[in-house]
Amino acid sequence: MNGYGSSTHAGGSGTSIGMYGQGLGNTGLTTETGSDQGVAPHKDQLADRRVMFMGLPRSGKTSIIKVVLDNEQAYDTLGLLSTTQRTEHRMMPGITVYDFPGIDDYAESQYIVLNPDIYEGEHTSLVFVVDSQSDIQSAITALFSVMRTAQSVNPHIPINVFINKIDGLSEELKQDIQHDIQQRVLKNMSFENLNCDHMHFLLTTIYSESIKEAFSKVIQYLVPQHSSLEAIINSFCSKSSLDKVLLIDFSTKIYLATDSSPTYSPRYTFACKTIDVIDEISALCGSYVPVDEDDLPLQRINVALDGYEDIFIYQISPSLTLFCFGPPQIISQTSLLEFNGSKVAKAIRKLLPI
Amino acid sequence: MGRSGAGKTSMRSLIFANYSASDTRRLGATIDVEHSTVQFMGDLGLNIWDCGGQHKYLDNYLNEQKESIFGNVEVLIFVFDLETTNKDREYTLYDECLLNLAQYSRDAKVYCLVHKMDKILDSDQKAAMVETYKKALNKRSDMFQPGVYGTSIWDHTLYQAWSQIVYALVPNMATIKRHLSNFCRLTDAAEVVLFERATFLVVCCTSGDEDEPQLEKYMTISQGIKHYRNTCTEQTSPFRSVHIRTRAYSLFVEPFTKSTYILVITADPEIEPAVTKANIDAARSHFAKLAD
Repeated sequence: MNGYGSSTHAGGSGTSIGMYGQGLGNTGLTTETGSDQGVAPHKDQLADRRVMFMGLPRSGKTSIIKVVLDNEQAYDTLGLLSTTQRTEHRMMPGITVYDFPGIDDYAESQYIVLNPDIYEGEHTSLVFVVDSQSDIQSAITALFSVMRTAQSVNPHIPINVFINKIDGLSEELKQDIQHDIQQRVLKNMSFENLNCDHMHFLLTTIYSESIKEAFSKVIQYLVPQHSSLEAIINSFCSKSSLDKVLLIDFSTKIYLATDSSPTYSPRYTFACKTIDVIDEISALCGSYVPVDEDDLPLQRINVALDGYEDIFIYQISPSLTLFCFGPPQIISQTSLLEFNGSKVAKAIRKLLPI
Repeated sequence: MGRSGAGKTSMRSLIFANYSASDTRRLGATIDVEHSTVQFMGDLGLNIWDCGGQHKYLDNYLNEQKESIFGNVEVLIFVFDLETTNKDREYTLYDECLLNLAQYSRDAKVYCLVHKMDKILDSDQKAAMVETYKKALNKRSDMFQPGVYGTSIWDHTLYQAWSQIVYALVPNMATIKRHLSNFCRLTDAAEVVLFERATFLVVCCTSGDEDEPQLEKYMTISQGIKHYRNTCTEQTSPFRSVHIRTRAYSLFVEPFTKSTYILVITADPEIEPAVTKANIDAARSHFAKLAD
């Protein structure tokens, strides 16, 4: 995957246990870590902008990351082994995704709770994955222990609860499950005086685009200069009379920013499918020309539909594209769109480290 | 034609009824003969007779109904099941069919599709398997020279085989091809491909240089677009056209005549897309006379 790398955080859990030993000096685990480490534990270095995936074991954290970031097929993740060490995955605009081991192993769960440092920082977001098909109560218990720690150091940390594995459930049942979990969590939060302004509940499954949409919503908090990006896209939208513009990462299909009109899931799903087809076709027709520093776009695509809107895709860097929905008469005025697109592309290239 | 469970109806649904490969799982056994008429390339009506493969029907075809079944046949497509437990029975059936065909419609073309090729993973083995079938079948069918193809509903091989079949069926194919390569030359296009509109089968393709046209590439494109068209229909905004421009090439997929879509790829970045588009529009009325 262009630009993405995943690497196992070397000695991650070793260091963490070391810190844990320091915290609970007399539990007896110090000896274990002491022999393991033998050096003074140092502060865990986590990336500045980060998303942390937590949850019970087998709730689908690693699968989600594999499907979204590494473009793996959902069926291929069935055989994944459980994660024993924290792994990190780098994402495009300087965001790092951390995959934590499932919270059941005694030491690790303590690590997550007893290391409040990891929740610090303005650009930190927490994703808690709940398996909708198994024991919800114990997931919520784990969520609360994480939440208490997180909010004690960072009261404004966004906490996204992914209600995962909803494939195959009826629309009604999905809503029921979401409602149930949401009620239980929010009620208990108010009992414990926790701040629930930054809670988000999202229904996900790796077998549909819902996971990418949920991921996008998490990522948008962390994208540098997000408000400026949104302002740029808003003005692009109104100046070119487009209905909807998404700034999409081509390889993962996550959208980093969009205009401020609401994003409907079917539309986003449709955008993903369009990109899939375009990707397939353009892969056949020749490779990318290396980028040089000028304003020319790499790829411009018109998709005409016989409905009420057409699609215009404007690639602004090897990985980012502007995905525009607009009325057919607008899309056919390609020269206007291209001129505006080039201006927007220039601005976005300045804002984002590409 | 073919034995029961070989995949005849799956194949037909996939090509002519916009099914996706996994949709075919819910198909049941075909009872007796299912007739369907497909409008193909405008006025060319294909009568497809999907013959049920169960024993009792097969006996029927070969005895009482043989005149109605084998009379006036243009193309016989015999589907072989790769996984069959009894190869000899399949061959005997094939022999009997050909015998009848020779009697009632001597000019028919015969195509043998070795189906469910996805069960073999290795590509060398696949080729070897098709080769063995080819040899065995050539020995058996002296007067009909059957085209033998390995197919699978899970990849583009099925489309490839059907494109070949269709190619042979369309009567004025040579003319269309000549005009298409003319068009290709006039627009300075690198590649021009004609798709049938309803099924998105490749009807005809030419390329500017003398290279062998890359049929597989077009198959993948055609399947991708067919799939996408279904998605678009779900979104209640039917698909019309795609136009991709990069610095290296420009690609158009446009509705062409009433019954066809056209794919034009130009490799020269100097050619303005608008020119190509105007050319496509100009050629439309000319081809309407030929292809509809």
